[in-house]
Amino acid sequence: MGADTPDPSEPALERLFYRSERVRLVYWGEFSGAKAAVWLTGLAAVLSFITGLSNLSQPEPAFDGPLAAAIPGDPVFLQFTGVLLAFVLGILVFGLQRRRRIAWYLALAVLPLAAVLPLTTLQATDVPLLLVILLALPLLLVNRAAFDRPLELTSLQIASLSSIVGVGLYGTAGSYALRDQFGGLETWSDSVYYVIVTIATVGYGDITPLTTGAKWFSLSVIVFGTGAFTVAIGALIVPAIEKRMAAAFGTMTPTELTLLEDHVLVLGYDDITEPLLDELGIEVDVVVVAPDTDETDEVDARNVTVVAGDPTLADTLEEARIDDAAGVVVATQDDATDVLTVLAAREANQAVRIVAAANDREHVDKLEAVGADEVISPMEIGGRLLGRSVLGRSSADSLFEDTDGGG
Amino acid sequence: MGLQGVGPIERMLRTLLGPLCLLSGAVVTAGFFFPELVVEPVSGPTWLVLSLVFFGSGLGYLAVLPAESDEDADPFDPESLLLVRRLGLTDTLGKFLSRQDPIAFGIPVVAFVLFFFGQLLVPAETIRAVDAAQRAVTTYGGWLFAAVMAIAVLVSLYLLVGPWGTVKLGGPDAEPAYTYPVYFAMFFTAGIAAGIVFWAPAEALFHYETPPPYFGVEPRSEAAAGAALTYTLFHWGISAWSAYVAVGVPIAYYVYQRGAPLRVSTILAPFLGVANLDSIWCRLVDLLAVFATIGGIATSIALVGDQFLAGIEFQWGVASDTVGSVLFVAGLTFVFVVSAQSGVHRGIRRIAAVTLVLFGLFAVLFVAVAPRTAVLEYSSRAIGSSAVHAIPMSVYLGNGPIASAWVADWTIWNWAWWFSWAPFAGLFLAALSRGRRIRTVVLTGVIAPSLATMAWFLLLGSTSLHLQQTGTVDVLGAIGAAGGSEAVAGFPVLESLPIGQLLVFGFLALIVVFMTSSADTSTLAVAVLATKREFAPTTGAIVFWGIIQGLVAVSVLVTDSAEVLQATAVLTGAPFALLVLVSLVGLVAAFRRHERGRQSIVGAARAKLAGDTEDEGG
Repeated sequence: MGADTPDPSEPALERLFYRSERVRLVYWGEFSGAKAAVWLTGLAAVLSFITGLSNLSQPEPAFDGPLAAAIPGDPVFLQFTGVLLAFVLGILVFGLQRRRRIAWYLALAVLPLAAVLPLTTLQATDVPLLLVILLALPLLLVNRAAFDRPLELTSLQIASLSSIVGVGLYGTAGSYALRDQFGGLETWSDSVYYVIVTIATVGYGDITPLTTGAKWFSLSVIVFGTGAFTVAIGALIVPAIEKRMAAAFGTMTPTELTLLEDHVLVLGYDDITEPLLDELGIEVDVVVVAPDTDETDEVDARNVTVVAGDPTLADTLEEARIDDAAGVVVATQDDATDVLTVLAAREANQAVRIVAAANDREHVDKLEAVGADEVISPMEIGGRLLGRSVLGRSSADSLFEDTDGGG
Repeated sequence: MGLQGVGPIERMLRTLLGPLCLLSGAVVTAGFFFPELVVEPVSGPTWLVLSLVFFGSGLGYLAVLPAESDEDADPFDPESLLLVRRLGLTDTLGKFLSRQDPIAFGIPVVAFVLFFFGQLLVPAETIRAVDAAQRAVTTYGGWLFAAVMAIAVLVSLYLLVGPWGTVKLGGPDAEPAYTYPVYFAMFFTAGIAAGIVFWAPAEALFHYETPPPYFGVEPRSEAAAGAALTYTLFHWGISAWSAYVAVGVPIAYYVYQRGAPLRVSTILAPFLGVANLDSIWCRLVDLLAVFATIGGIATSIALVGDQFLAGIEFQWGVASDTVGSVLFVAGLTFVFVVSAQSGVHRGIRRIAAVTLVLFGLFAVLFVAVAPRTAVLEYSSRAIGSSAVHAIPMSVYLGNGPIASAWVADWTIWNWAWWFSWAPFAGLFLAALSRGRRIRTVVLTGVIAPSLATMAWFLLLGSTSLHLQQTGTVDVLGAIGAAGGSEAVAGFPVLESLPIGQLLVFGFLALIVVFMTSSADTSTLAVAVLATKREFAPTTGAIVFWGIIQGLVAVSVLVTDSAEVLQATAVLTGAPFALLVLVSLVGLVAAFRRHERGRQSIVGAARAKLAGDTEDEGG
């Protein structure tokens, strides 16, 4: 209580009731953004899981909802979909968090599906899930613009995924066509089951080829399907694990570096490196090449790959895989080093886009002359912005608005 | 600390309450979703405690979350360390007392202590005396309550459509600091406590069994159902809320237009002058306001504690004793003290928002499963009948000027209760109203909340009437089995509906939040009144008054004197009925003197129709 020093000039009214400019009931901005939409979808995933389990654990499931009559077949089947859709939603939340457009489309499709189970059973336990879905859907729709990143797959990932799909289709259609020559294969679902069990190398053995033709066919499915399956797992999961490992151990080993593709090289460490890394975000693989280990330790903490070495040396740039880089930013503390670095980078990769920062605006044309595609003088930009801002023509913040959405 | 931003105690509370809420929440969620697996091994009282801990710690955590503007503040304040060393206990006490108003602070504290010693030493006499006084006041003074209430309604309606409604509090350039939703939410949730939850399914049934003599209908007849709903709407509608505006608008007017201090005694300004608001009369009015507020709120807290546990016992057979009630009240006190000290912008605002959201959500879910055609039918009849009978009901007492037993027990008792809440609710309404036109204040203080309460009472009241009449559920039988307690009426009604289990949860949660959102505001109001007028109440003072309210509630429970204190609160309503009259007379006089030449809504509309484009001077 001693902290409240009496101030007679400020009456009780002001101190208690008029301390801030404007008070709202709910600060909508905090609750209606893309982040809230992702959170709510995540909550829907968790609730869908719990509600599904709760439904399964009931000894006598009740079906009191409005959809109960409209559901064809055995409604008991539905009880499993709750838990199953929770997994799908979980993966989608992962994609939504990375602002992927495709995850947004799929979430819009899956969320109403997740509402089917509660609408069929309609117990008290289903209401929270229904409410969350009702909240999440409009929020996702409102925040459509935030989920605009395309799904970036490497050519290997696309190839392996499409070959899995292809082999799956080939195997299903083929085994169904040859169903007379298989023991235990009669329907379409039998053939889907057979192909997946075969491709995944599980092979229960309840469906077996009986004729030579069928055996040859099965072999083709095994060779191509299992191959595609293995490659797909490698292409999809290994990079993610690699990233984790790199994050855990700091700098990448040269073998890990060889896996890099379309990354951005940041050569040199300067005051502008931190905001630069902020702007590049986590979406792009970034490799920082800098000589000084004290400073690079700071970068290490951000889970960015660091190659310790002199960026003016061709060997260091090779190690950082400049030949596969999508772009190079040159920003050392000294313009002379910048020139040497641009020269070295251009020599190592003729095609790559090189952007350089000139500490002194006088040096812009020199850097351009040695091979930089674009040279930016941070000092000049800062000075101009200061001037514009003080004249009220445009605020510095407005400059960054469009970059936030597009990033 | 709360008023200054985030203090070390608050930070500690946050680190304590957050995990507590998460843990208990996880257990409660598990119990909710997997009743067979989780509920069985855990006993009933444990569940009750767990759910209350979950809900209470959640509300408390919400209250101590820092406001947006506090985020930038220095997270570590070295001053706070020095402070601990500098302040001895005597220093702190001395400093604390030096800021309290001797009359408004000292007398209530002494009086409440004396009251409970009297209660402990000579219980029978005290009860009899207070009871007799209350009966006499409601019976023979009934005409006063009814008359003042009718005048308050008339003045409110005149302010709404008349020329004075255009007065903008704080001058023409003042901007409201609270957006309309938060303005409405905070006032609405402060002005009504758990009564709205308990009585909504119950009151119409009571009138159905014992119909109001005004209608002269057979008990439990079709006509009695209509009469019951009509009277329920009358008790919780426009009249009731007008009492708050009758105190709030005068205070707001003198505070923002004439520079008076924010106190209940400001209603005397037109008689004494703004400069003389330090006189003994004003001190007495403030003192009375403190009494009425503590009496009204503390009794409500104690009652809610009892009713809540009675409902639990009825519903799940979890019997509880006084210790249970005391623990419940202690928890409730903790939450509303935390909320009150965190300030209007944090705890009070957020809990008001939670209350309103829960209220709306419950209503929507209820509408989804309620017998809608029956509700519509009953409601339309009750609304029509209310419109016809509103004025006769307002002046009906029974035996000429003396109130009949029914009117004294229901209508007058109810009015007295609303009058005893008027000082703090009016003060709070005034405090939030800067930058609003008086018309908006009346709209928010009377029309909007009474529409909300009436819709709510129609919804729940007609559902329970329908269930009772069709014989689906014998709610009256359940009430009778529980000793005539209104607390149990909601449970059989909700249980009979689909998703009833969830509705019961929501019902219990609503009881807690509505009580909290009134008690935190009243604590703040009492702290303002008991502090010397040149100071704002310190966090210490707010905590002190919150604990006093909790203690009074606990002692009511321990000495089993709820009826006595209830009667006392009703008794303080009587002087406030007089004060409301005085304040309305003063307000009308002040408006006639200072606010001439304004245009009423009708006049403005006529001017607009006539194509009159000249400036209207509003």
